[in-house]
Amino acid sequence: MTTTSQPVGTGVASTVVAPVAAPRPEARDEGRRPRWQRVLFVLALVGAAVIFLLPFVWLVSASLRPREYVFAPGLLPTPFAPDNYADAWQAMPLLTWLFNSVVVGVAAAAAATLSSAWVAFGFAYFRFPGRNLLFGLVLATMMLPFAVTMIPTYLIWNRLGLIDTQVPLWAGNLFGSAFYIFLLRQFFLSLPREYFEAARVDGASYPQLFWKMAFPLIRPALLVAFVFEFKASWTDLVKPLIYLRNEQLYTLPRGLKVILDRFGYGGEQQWEIVLAGSVIATVPMIILFFLAQRHFVEGIATTGRKG
Amino acid sequence: MATTVTPPVPGRRRRTPLARREARWAYVFLAPWIVGFLVFTAGPMIASLWLSFTEYDVINAPRWSGLDNYRQLVSDPQVARSLGNTVYYAALHVPLVMLISLGLALLLKRVGRWQGFFRTVFYLPVMTPAVAVGILFLLLLNTQDGLINRGLALLGIDGPSWTTDPDWVMPGIVLMSLWSLGSTVIIYLAALQNVPRDLYEAADLDGAGAWARFRHVTLPMISGSLFFTLIVNTIASLQMFTEVYTMYFGNRQTQGSFNSDAASFYVIHLFREAFQFLHMGFASAMAWLLFLIILIITAVQVKLSSRFVYYEGEDR
Amino acid sequence: MSRRLRATALAGALTLAISGCGGVGGGGDSGGGATKGSGALSTMGFGLSDEIAKTRVDAFKKDHPDVQLQITEGAFDEQQFLSAVASGNPPDLVYMDRKLIGTYAKRGSIQPLTDCVEKQKIDLGQYRQAAKDQVTLDGTVYGIPEFSQVRVLYLNEALLKQAGLTADDVNVADWASLPALNTKLAKVSGGRLSRIGIDPKIPEFLPMWAKANGAEMISADGAKANLTDPKVVEALTTGVKLIQDQGGWGKFKSFRDTFDFFGAENPLAKNQIAAWPMEEWFLNQAAKNSPKAELVVKPFVDRQGKPLSMSNGQAWVVTKGAKNPEAACAFVKQMTATDTWFAAAKARAEARKAANLPFTGVWTGNTAADKKIFDELYQPTGNKRFDDAVATIREAQDIAFAMPASPAGAEFDKAWTDAVNRVLSGQAQPAEALARAQQEATAALDKAAG
Repeated sequence: MTTTSQPVGTGVASTVVAPVAAPRPEARDEGRRPRWQRVLFVLALVGAAVIFLLPFVWLVSASLRPREYVFAPGLLPTPFAPDNYADAWQAMPLLTWLFNSVVVGVAAAAAATLSSAWVAFGFAYFRFPGRNLLFGLVLATMMLPFAVTMIPTYLIWNRLGLIDTQVPLWAGNLFGSAFYIFLLRQFFLSLPREYFEAARVDGASYPQLFWKMAFPLIRPALLVAFVFEFKASWTDLVKPLIYLRNEQLYTLPRGLKVILDRFGYGGEQQWEIVLAGSVIATVPMIILFFLAQRHFVEGIATTGRKG
Repeated sequence: MATTVTPPVPGRRRRTPLARREARWAYVFLAPWIVGFLVFTAGPMIASLWLSFTEYDVINAPRWSGLDNYRQLVSDPQVARSLGNTVYYAALHVPLVMLISLGLALLLKRVGRWQGFFRTVFYLPVMTPAVAVGILFLLLLNTQDGLINRGLALLGIDGPSWTTDPDWVMPGIVLMSLWSLGSTVIIYLAALQNVPRDLYEAADLDGAGAWARFRHVTLPMISGSLFFTLIVNTIASLQMFTEVYTMYFGNRQTQGSFNSDAASFYVIHLFREAFQFLHMGFASAMAWLLFLIILIITAVQVKLSSRFVYYEGEDR
Repeated sequence: MSRRLRATALAGALTLAISGCGGVGGGGDSGGGATKGSGALSTMGFGLSDEIAKTRVDAFKKDHPDVQLQITEGAFDEQQFLSAVASGNPPDLVYMDRKLIGTYAKRGSIQPLTDCVEKQKIDLGQYRQAAKDQVTLDGTVYGIPEFSQVRVLYLNEALLKQAGLTADDVNVADWASLPALNTKLAKVSGGRLSRIGIDPKIPEFLPMWAKANGAEMISADGAKANLTDPKVVEALTTGVKLIQDQGGWGKFKSFRDTFDFFGAENPLAKNQIAAWPMEEWFLNQAAKNSPKAELVVKPFVDRQGKPLSMSNGQAWVVTKGAKNPEAACAFVKQMTATDTWFAAAKARAEARKAANLPFTGVWTGNTAADKKIFDELYQPTGNKRFDDAVATIREAQDIAFAMPASPAGAEFDKAWTDAVNRVLSGQAQPAEALARAQQEATAALDKAAG
């Protein structure tokens, strides 16, 4: 995504280097719009929100109903059966899995974000022979279906003696991940180069350029990458499924599969417990997103303007 | 792969020693990726390329079989069918996701204090476990009692058989996929909020209407994000797997084993060939075909969009 | 990055990829052999979901205190299993659907149990023949069967009465009479299906309908498909007609998808279905959730009126490269032994009693265990309907057939279910769909055999 920082060389403003404060753009001219437009706007927004929210509300509601009423029509949890959560909680070491998910998620997200930023800076800032080809390769790595590289990758981790540890769940991220390299490179590209050139003249090394200048400038984009990768790790089932055997090491999706096989398809289709487990697995993610998003979406705009 | 990647350098430098020093440093920055690429991507990729010329069942050592897998690939009607389905899905999914996400992002941008809440609402589905999404949409899409057809009935429309009518299976899947477009919304929103105000003010001074502002300021300024999401969503949609697998293939014991040809996606077919029928060699050939197809589609997209994507500082 | 270095790295990765394929035991301690029944023992595909599982595992642990049992919970998953096999580091034991055994046995990823049976003195005679057929490929036993599921015909007598009929009027032997009976029992109004008359349960039960018509869909050695047999076509045509007559597959399936066979709101209790063949476990659910329902259970019959049932279930297999085959073998023996099953059934009966619910038996792949359970433990519930049903199911267990093990079982299944699905969704006629399936299945079977 090109966060346009300072419109360099576009004829609007050409040579701004120093950070500039700017007014917050959002909700700027609501007052100016005609009334009917505002009504339409609220209707569209709320309508869309309701459509997006309904399936989720149903999910939560169903997880709070007794067995017989899980699939009943209606959106209210009646009769109310919060015991489902106690059942799911008691049946499985959910707290351990929750903890594992957090640890693995943070490791995976931090590794992916840091390494991808480092690599992305290399692609955005430098010019060198073979750059386009290499960047093409980065894109290309997103295109090979996971199913075929899975076994060879597994064999590598096996050779390293790391099966049944949590390492394969995150360590692959230490080498950068195509999606975030692509994403962060777009951000770096939007930073005005003069800014860095000036620092170079003052004697800053390239790593310093990266750590002291570029890195802080794209903090919101890093947060985006962190949250996306945390989410990806949080919901991934395949890796924990093939790499982990010890139940104490499981992450939540792996644990959810145990719940699903024990209570859902493999058991008596007690969907209420499966759904309760799903909600438990989702809530921490929602909280994280809610806390982080303020910083990242609004932050992008702010940082962009600082250029 | 090329084109848009011109470096953000207004004034070009010509001093070769510097250029060489830069190149050295560039490789320092690229080193982690190169190492990872060689070990975790190129290695497995080459292995899979090689396996695509063998018969390999994962259990026994691969046996060289020349072009057999590729011959079978061309003649297998199921491969053609699933590829057709997948392309059809991508053709519906990607433009719709981009359009709707942009619409939602534009709405969100105008929200004041409540923006956080609404952003979370649109991002919620992304965070819902795939298994839950699969179960959920099987229920929502139920022909007789599903929420969607009940809603249509209120409008006097006799809703289609979303899960069984071959013509309607794919639209149903697209509907499900649209529910989780939150990531794209967030990316657009970030881009929109980043469009410099002064550009709009300049446009206002020129007397531009709402459409002209959108067409000549907003669109060019977020074209980089549009480009990014076009590429990423296309790649992802051509690899669609989890939700559809959960819905139509993953629950054989219970709701009956109905899975329509219409729901057969390329990667699902690939997955079944690899892990259920133990044709890892053939699956590898399938993967390479898909890889080439994605590569071509992406290259075309890059080529076409290079005309429309606008980067700051890019000299043109 | 020099060229040489890159080439070396690639070669290295490739070697890694290939070296793992051989199969047998990489780098682990092969500490078995010395003392029987000690060391680590790992399983995959099994879960401690209920008292039946827990009681038996506890029994094994008690008798083998030196064995460190590690149960990786969760249903069998191909990716999980195959990546473990490819790395030469498979679990010792895998619990899987019996129909998968032919494929894995043919490829050599699971061990013949000939030695195991001999050393542990496992009495193969105690297992049901149908179950044994499913775990035997080319005369060699590869798995030890666990539960045994069979199909019987369930009737909702309340609905039959409404239509002026009795349970005797439902004659599955007389296929010509089924469509009329079906439309009489079904309720389609205003374009909505609100009650199913007869559910033929296809695609799943097509092999049973075919067998009822005197046709085997696959040869006894699991090597030849027989899908174009006119009798198979006729079976499919009959089943499809029953569904078409009830508003078509779309309505039929979407209605059936809303059923909840495990709860108090089951379709029997809600009068949503009149006649349907189904697995024996529904009786347990009905006894538990709908003790007042007017349920009649009859055997499914062939066209001559002779009882017929189809059986399937899970089995234990020992992987090739298992590090502790002795303990694995001891484990399977104990898990499926008569006494162990009996203890587990007892635990189930007590649990049911404590919850004030009727105990309707446990059906295993072990005939001796079943005999002991039903002779010594099972007590008539006092509800004649359920007690008769139990008797019917016991008979079905004894006569049930099973689809034989096949080296391309998964592909064979896919071929014919795809065919049925194409017919149901109106894309093909039965004969042409089955002809295509025959081609696909034959290609796969020939390839697997070669």
